[in-house]
Amino acid sequence: MRIRLTSVLVDDQDKALQFYTEKLGFVKKTDIPLGEHKWLTVVSPESDEIELVLEPMGFEPAKTYQKALFEAGIPLTAFHVEDVHKEYEQLLKKGVEFSLKPTNMGAVTLAVFNDTCGNNIQIVQV
Amino acid sequence: MTYYHQHIIEIRKALYPNEYLYRQAVLAKLFIDKHYNHDINLDEISDKAFFSKFHFIRLFRSIYYKTPYQYLTSVRIEKAKLFLQSGKSISETCSLIGFRSITSFTSLFRKATGYTPANFVKKYRKLPELIPFPYNSLGYLQKNQSQKTAILKKTNSRVCSLNQ
Repeated sequence: MRIRLTSVLVDDQDKALQFYTEKLGFVKKTDIPLGEHKWLTVVSPESDEIELVLEPMGFEPAKTYQKALFEAGIPLTAFHVEDVHKEYEQLLKKGVEFSLKPTNMGAVTLAVFNDTCGNNIQIVQV
Repeated sequence: MTYYHQHIIEIRKALYPNEYLYRQAVLAKLFIDKHYNHDINLDEISDKAFFSKFHFIRLFRSIYYKTPYQYLTSVRIEKAKLFLQSGKSISETCSLIGFRSITSFTSLFRKATGYTPANFVKKYRKLPELIPFPYNSLGYLQKNQSQKTAILKKTNSRVCSLNQ
């Protein structure tokens, strides 16, 4: 068993694609129209083995869950980075908003930003 | 301040009161990650970072569940597995991960993985581009039918030649 896909729920797929590619530096891999929405994935530029699905938020109860997480500042998911401080500076310059600045937690350093599509995303350096 | 931020601060205060020491242990770990292929003097690292080697080892183990030496060995073995899988020879791999003796590398590798490097190669070496993946995650064809047929023919001929 292997993990090939994971997903984030987004309120607008086009806006999400723009943020995840232009701000975060991911690369679009799949874009297949499926009626109102599309099967849209991005991958890391270093490796396309694991895809991140930018999944449309179309289910009302899930919106409540997403909103509660967002308001509490809790990250929906986390991405690994080599250097949180460096990434933080670069993203700040691109206008990304952080709710948690780089913080050391023992062996881990983390920070949390707003993906502008309804989610907090954590970056982690281990 | 968000609920999550508050929570992080509380955990940090309770579990990691001495940030400086933890930071030093993390830096030591990152140093090992980067220089695993060199002669790393762990005594020197601990001297620079802490008052005592014993304290350094204890702190390092409390974070990474391994002593610095055990951690260095595990990094070297993981790198060796990647090198062997990617087609490097055993002697090349031995040198690339900072070992001078093939005998001690072989012995350590067997202890860590259960395989000698040669047996590991037989079992796990990746065959380059043997089986392409013409489908995306939804199962749609990414390549047209003629491309797919060409790929499968190429794959089959490689498999045949490998079996001979």
